[in-house]
Amino acid sequence: MRYLLYLGCVIPTKQYAYEVSLREVFPKFGVQLEEFNERCCGFPLKSINKKAWLYMGARVLARASELGLPILAPCNGCHVSLWETKHQMEEDPYLKSEILSYLKSEGLYKFDDVDIKHPVEVLHDIIGLEKIKEKVVRPLQGLKIASHPGCHLMRPTDIPRPEDNANPDKIDRILRALGAESYDYPDKGGCCGATMLPFSPDNAIKVGAQKILTMINAGFNAATTSCPYCMEMLDNKQDAAKTITGNMEVSLPVFYLTQLVGLAIGIEPSKLLINLNMSPVDEILAEVGVV
Amino acid sequence: MTTEVFTTRIVEELKNIIGVHKPEFCYQCAKCTSGCTANKVFSEYRPHEFVALANMGYVEEILKSGVIWACTECWKCGQYCPQEVAPVEVIIALKNLSIIKGYAPPKALVEMTKNVIEKGLIQDINQVMTKDFEFIDRDSLGLPPLEEPPQMDKHRNILSKFFGVVMK
Amino acid sequence: MEEVRIGIYICHCGKNIAGVINPKRIVEHLSRLPNVVVAKEYLYMCSSPGQSLIEEDIKEYNLNRIIVAACSPRMHEPTFQSALIRAGLNPYLLEMVNIREHATWVHERDPAETEQKVIGLIRAAVHRAINLYPLEVERLPVVKSVLVVGGGIAGIRASLDLAKAGYKVYLVEKNQSIGGKMAQLDKTFPTLDCSQCILTPMMVDVSNNPNIILQTYSVVEEINGRPGEFEVKVRQKARYVDWDACTGCGTCVEKCPARVPSEFDEGLGTRKAIYFDFPQAIPRRPVIDPDHCLYLIKGVCRVCEKFCPTGAIKFEDEDQFLTLKVGAIVVATGYQLYDMRKMYEYGYGKYRNVITGMQLERLSSANGPTSGRITTIEIERGKIKPGKEPETVAIILCAGSRDENHIKYCCRIGCMAGLKHAYYIAHALPNSKIIICYTDIRAFGKGFEEFYQRIRSLPNVFMVRGRPMEIFENKDGSLILDVFDSNTNRRLTINADLVVLETALVPPQGFEEFRKILKISCDPGGFGLELHPKLKPVETTVDGIYLAGFIQGPKDIPDTVAHAGAAAAAASAFLAKGYIESIPYLAHVDEDICSGCGVCVSVCPYDAITIEVTDGRRLAKVNSVKCKGCGACAAACPSGAMQQHYFTDKQILSEVSALAEGVVA
Ligand SMILES: Cc1cc2nc3c(=O)[nH]c(=O)nc-3n(C[C@H](O)[C@H](O)[C@H](O)COP(=O)(O)OP(=O)(O)OC[C@H]3O[C@@H](n4cnc5c(N)ncnc54)[C@H](O)[C@@H]3O)c2cc1C
Ligand code: SF4
Ligand code: SF4
Repeated sequence: MRYLLYLGCVIPTKQYAYEVSLREVFPKFGVQLEEFNERCCGFPLKSINKKAWLYMGARVLARASELGLPILAPCNGCHVSLWETKHQMEEDPYLKSEILSYLKSEGLYKFDDVDIKHPVEVLHDIIGLEKIKEKVVRPLQGLKIASHPGCHLMRPTDIPRPEDNANPDKIDRILRALGAESYDYPDKGGCCGATMLPFSPDNAIKVGAQKILTMINAGFNAATTSCPYCMEMLDNKQDAAKTITGNMEVSLPVFYLTQLVGLAIGIEPSKLLINLNMSPVDEILAEVGVV
Repeated sequence: MTTEVFTTRIVEELKNIIGVHKPEFCYQCAKCTSGCTANKVFSEYRPHEFVALANMGYVEEILKSGVIWACTECWKCGQYCPQEVAPVEVIIALKNLSIIKGYAPPKALVEMTKNVIEKGLIQDINQVMTKDFEFIDRDSLGLPPLEEPPQMDKHRNILSKFFGVVMK
Repeated sequence: MEEVRIGIYICHCGKNIAGVINPKRIVEHLSRLPNVVVAKEYLYMCSSPGQSLIEEDIKEYNLNRIIVAACSPRMHEPTFQSALIRAGLNPYLLEMVNIREHATWVHERDPAETEQKVIGLIRAAVHRAINLYPLEVERLPVVKSVLVVGGGIAGIRASLDLAKAGYKVYLVEKNQSIGGKMAQLDKTFPTLDCSQCILTPMMVDVSNNPNIILQTYSVVEEINGRPGEFEVKVRQKARYVDWDACTGCGTCVEKCPARVPSEFDEGLGTRKAIYFDFPQAIPRRPVIDPDHCLYLIKGVCRVCEKFCPTGAIKFEDEDQFLTLKVGAIVVATGYQLYDMRKMYEYGYGKYRNVITGMQLERLSSANGPTSGRITTIEIERGKIKPGKEPETVAIILCAGSRDENHIKYCCRIGCMAGLKHAYYIAHALPNSKIIICYTDIRAFGKGFEEFYQRIRSLPNVFMVRGRPMEIFENKDGSLILDVFDSNTNRRLTINADLVVLETALVPPQGFEEFRKILKISCDPGGFGLELHPKLKPVETTVDGIYLAGFIQGPKDIPDTVAHAGAAAAAASAFLAKGYIESIPYLAHVDEDICSGCGVCVSVCPYDAITIEVTDGRRLAKVNSVKCKGCGACAAACPSGAMQQHYFTDKQILSEVSALAEGVVA
């Protein structure tokens, strides 16, 4: 199991907890992560120029193709974007040849033979629940964790997505393997609002706050995600959400899935950068006695 | 009194950007708006209406309002639309068209575009504060530096061409 | 040999043909072709003056071949053949050229090229016509009985009509009882009359009619023979009850300890392992469900046997096979609901209070699981039980219909059924609120618009023009849904106790296989395909097989009944004629050439060819009753010994080489 670790934009510049926990956890399961310095997949700029987006994604894929290894894309945005790039160009040969002509000028020729994986897929489908269970030394008992898959882990369904839009339950199953409780709740597949940030931060944060409230109403005492954008909205901006909505109830500990796996298999919280999570994570971990 | 001139249906320029999706199939069930993330917080953001307006050729009207930038690209509308319209893709195409027509996108997006052209990433490396009021970044964490990938000059050139309009 | 004298007639087909090409100009070209005596054009060749033109010319010019360049022979070949007959000419001396579908409709944008194509096609037809020869048809007898498959309202109506006309009718129904979906309905739109009250008397008529042989709990396995004389193999499923001995007292049903979710109650109620479909079932003879009978699965129980006063229980019963000989078949197998679990965004099958319209019919019916009380659904220890009276109900139209991801066509029922369902609730629970989420209300039938007006005037019915995207369940089992109402430009968040889905309706289970047994075609939705969408709505591509009711495409009860009546009339006409004409273009063997290699035997899909030894020589023999004239053997025969009348090698090759000549020139 060797992957090119493709971090995208947000993880290596800000969401350090995701990168660090991933680098801690995956090798413990025999997953080897190779450095892969590539640039933006284009996704945030799809609305500015679709062709530029496709070209940027194709470039990332082409570089991976040269190295001959599959990509691990921990960001939901990168993951969907690279798959969509592949898909759209399969559908439109003219577009493909146009994009290829740009790549050629950079000495790149091929991009459609690269597999792209997401950490949720690697954990659930490749490592498998049994292996995860075996390694658990600190079961997350007492934690009722809401899975927030994030839109692009599930949609659009005409391209391969790690979670089933009809019944997204891979993250739940991983959480249960870690000893936590997890179940379905209304609007589980709902949106964190991140893409609205550039246009209207306040309203974007309101969207995130609503999602947090549905999780609290469904009886959860924590939540998890494996997308840096979702983490930004659900965790980092939780205080802002309280201010903007005027609702102090918007308070729920939120973890990266990789952080939770790390905790359960006995990695120290500091090594998982739990102190970057802005939501009340320490309190809940202490309360249920995980740390 | 001015009478309505029905000259265009969906604008060809827009159609070309949309690609495979089929706005002309829309029968205004408003399923898209019923579950739209952006509509929850922006009542004037109504994807079914954008599709209707686009279908009647009233594109400028949408572009002028600028509210299309509220879309969170959650893809719910694309997923559940009964007529394969994928309003989200129509809206992305509208945003592309608004750039071509010289309307300004949200400032933060211009900033991201600039960064992408210069550094390949939408933002600079941040110093982040922990709960213990400590500032950390890649260096302090001992994470590998973000080295420049090969051929960045050529990459930058191509990107500047694509994004020329935005930067003006 | 007699001199070949050809007359050519070009039809304008209004503007369909003449709107693209100029028939007059073409006529000028044609007179130069070999053997052509006369060439004419006319506005509508199929009309009376058009046909007379041909008849008169045949006599005046002593014509012996006729070419009509017009529409498809599937449309008007019989029309022009009869003109030939009236003029005393053999009908197989007609050749049709389809210059509409094959030319003007498809190349509308290029008239000049189209004209060249039309001329080429007609030239080829001339060469073929020269090689045509008269063919004779045989008259084959017709058996004066009918098979009706499916005992819903369509099958019932068709059976009664045919029986009235004096034909013997075999009515085969797969369930224990006849009645179909209509028996499950409480009331019927647009008049709101009680469904059972208008249906059950007709069911009784069926059982009392001496001309109708009711064969329920049975399916059709095989169909052989030909139109006018079909041989039908029917499987009567093991009933485990001797229906001759049984008096229908129902003691067994009462005593049986095994409970099973009832199909008739759409899973909302239960039935016993020995059961009638519903209390008013016809015939009133129970069957045992072998998958749930305690004795048949576990070997213990036999309670029914103990209590049966007539000793009718027969645990050793087996499937039985009957062979029926019938002249015609009426297919009336109806429809089923689309599996709403596939539309997961509405949570059917996951949320207990999301139900189908048909389930609401059962809740509202006096003979239903709640005796007609409309309630929410509770689940207690895995068992469904009635909950409380709902205060808010959302009814969603077009659930799965008009949807590229599910069923593309309109169900033609949901709008009216949804309005009717709003009425059920509004009437039974005047304090409730009913929200109808619609996209377009299609109120096209007689009395429908008036019905729509009546329902939308009810004070507790709210019409919302919008379709919810997703439904979520609250902890108490109630439902939460957002719907954008484009009439008021508001997004409404609704907390509903019950959500009713007016589901898409699709062909019944197993129809795809049954259709293949019947050898009839289907439309893109999977329903039986009529011969012509306007003019032949009950006929199929197979003579003697007719469609009745929903199986031809979505229909409400009035349309179903009208359609079934039409099917019965068409079947009656077919039987009343007393004979059918054999197909003249069958395969035949030139015995001088045949080497008896048997290739034809292996390609014939109808087992119509055998190799027989005569005077020590192996020769292929065609059974003219079995041969359907498909031509597979003629194409496969390596020596050219096998030929098909009307499509002989000579006829086809002369046509092809004339076409090729045109291309080279
Ligand atoms: C919720 C709902 C409400 C409705 N309300 C109304 C209303 O108020 N007014 C109205 O006009 N219409 C209404 N309809 C429509 C109505 O149900 C149909 O128009 C009518 O039932 C069609 O009759 P049918 O005989 O063609 O089909 P069906 O009623 O489906 O009968 C077909 C019969 O064929 C049998 N069968 C199927 N396959 C085989 C086989 N292979 N071999 C032997 N037997 C077979 C079936 O068991 C069944 O008995 C409603 C429909 C729905 C879904
Ligand atoms: S869901 Fe699709 S068909 Fe319905 S209004 Fe929106 S775009 Fe149109
Ligand atoms: S993708 Fe945009 S338009 Fe579509 S539902 Fe999400 S926010 Fe609304």
